[in-house]
Amino acid sequence: MAILDILHFPDPRLRQRALEVERVDASLRALIDDMFATMYQAPGIGLAATQVNVHQRLLVIDVSKDQDQPQVFINPEILAREGVEEMDEGCLSVPGFYERVQRAERITVRALNRDGEAFELEADGLLAVCIQHEIDHLDGKLFVDYLSQLKRQRIRKKLEKQRRLGIEDNVDHDRHAEPVI
Amino acid sequence: MPVPAERTHVKGSADAVSNPRLLAAHLVVAVLQQGNSLNRVLAAQLGEVTDPRQRALAQKLVYGTLRWYHRLEAVLAQLLGKPMKSRDRDLHALLLVGLYQLLVMEAPAHAAVSETVQATRALGKEWARGLVNGVLRNALRRGEALLAQADAEPVARWSHPRWWLQRVQQDWPQHWQEVMRADNCQPPMTLRVNLRQGSRERYLARLAAEGLQARPLPDSATALQLATPSAVDKLPGFFSGAVSVQDAAAQLCAPLLELHSGQRVLDACAAPGGKTGHILESAQLDAVLALDSDARRLEKVAENLSRLQLYAECVCADAGAPDTWWDGRTFERILLDAPCSASGVVRRHPDIKILRRDEDVEQLARQQLRLLEALWPLLSSGGILLYVTCSVFSQENGEVIRGFLRRHADARTAPIEAHWGLAQAGGRQLLPGEHGMDGFYFARLVKN
Repeated sequence: MAILDILHFPDPRLRQRALEVERVDASLRALIDDMFATMYQAPGIGLAATQVNVHQRLLVIDVSKDQDQPQVFINPEILAREGVEEMDEGCLSVPGFYERVQRAERITVRALNRDGEAFELEADGLLAVCIQHEIDHLDGKLFVDYLSQLKRQRIRKKLEKQRRLGIEDNVDHDRHAEPVI
Repeated sequence: MPVPAERTHVKGSADAVSNPRLLAAHLVVAVLQQGNSLNRVLAAQLGEVTDPRQRALAQKLVYGTLRWYHRLEAVLAQLLGKPMKSRDRDLHALLLVGLYQLLVMEAPAHAAVSETVQATRALGKEWARGLVNGVLRNALRRGEALLAQADAEPVARWSHPRWWLQRVQQDWPQHWQEVMRADNCQPPMTLRVNLRQGSRERYLARLAAEGLQARPLPDSATALQLATPSAVDKLPGFFSGAVSVQDAAAQLCAPLLELHSGQRVLDACAAPGGKTGHILESAQLDAVLALDSDARRLEKVAENLSRLQLYAECVCADAGAPDTWWDGRTFERILLDAPCSASGVVRRHPDIKILRRDEDVEQLARQQLRLLEALWPLLSSGGILLYVTCSVFSQENGEVIRGFLRRHADARTAPIEAHWGLAQAGGRQLLPGEHGMDGFYFARLVKN
């Protein structure tokens, strides 16, 4: 299993629309395993294939507190929506920002599981929000699209600045890592 | 989506700026629970602290707490009747930072206890004042006995994960205790003098003129070890490339390549470019190609080289897939500084002991072999490929080289004659702490 690189807003590849999965086979399952590993390490509760630069309609989700209930959604479709709910959302592609977003409170979803079998599921609460958020990714949409333009610009600028400063996440053993008083 | 903020968020971030103990606790949580690397969280969070003394203290506390994490956990378990609730991981981290100050750093007890107790307020957990006070006062009273009991268990005594300890014991039955001890020491700061701009003796004199003490290291013609670490902007000529910061072990690479003018050299995993710079300083080469698969880290190479006023062609590509970048002309020298567990530099990156998993090592070994296999055809006949890791695990070192040699009749190893390290089948292992250096492995492969 490998940890995949997560694309960060405003990367244009996050705007690409994902294509239907045609075959659920061993290579797709290997991708699913890598996506779970990537999501748990982030740490996250949901990850769409688009975020790891694979443009196929595939989500992995685990909203459980102990992070021990993985769920796979292949070619997910929302069949019904009910009610309105607001929650603070974040996104692994927009690290460090949390904003209030309105979504349907309860949804019915149809999708394939990791064995390629169809299932239907009724979801509410965090799971419903997470599924809607991740399906948005497959359509090239991000939660920041629901915010005002001003807020979105601010987030974009901050993230671009962080990237310019080159915040490191790898081991540089040539560096003097520990200045002392 | 990320894990919801309320599950991981630590309250009181704003106050952390003015309380180094609290900031250290935040950083410990970011490494332990969120699996972030320490470099990353330091870059993100330390920037807001403007007072250099508070910054330095926060940094010392977080490095020390992570370095002694396994030992401090064992002490804390004795002091707490039952484990803390998961929503109180911030308090748990704060207690570890407190114990580090009292039991390892031996900080003045009064300030350490009262400031740490004070930090509970910023966390919005004033109910825990009594708990924190009680735990720390207990630790002060019974420190020796608590440590003695914790140390009965090797994981706590050596402050390494069990799998790591077992690997080192198995690989280095004669030396494992020295390795463990060195891993838990604070590393020195070592410089590499750019001999193109002047001799090491001359640079030593420039340092002395600035009031900085250093000593030349015998194993390298370029290394100077500072008596006390210093900020790079205090080093004379740093910005014009007179000197770089680099451990002496890493400075052994370029000489082992036996570089001569006119050669074509490949540095296959170049970022952040320390060794690339040294290669360029060593001889008037025909061309140096610096590859790295990470574009952001590759920018560091270009930055480093421009500071040294030297030039290499920098290409962002996977060294393991030469068909995507190689022009078909062979190289007389190849440096493969392979991605590795970094177990030899854990004294510089104590978070590795917490973040690395046993199964990573096998995966890394497979990647190392894959890179060797992919690069071997690019070496000229009679050329040298230097394989380097900053690991002490033989699975990433001798075993990789042995596996490679079995499959390549046109490869042989050229022995490394040196006063440092241990001769191994295939190469030479430098264990951390030997002559003050980091732990590295080197193997020199020659093509017949």
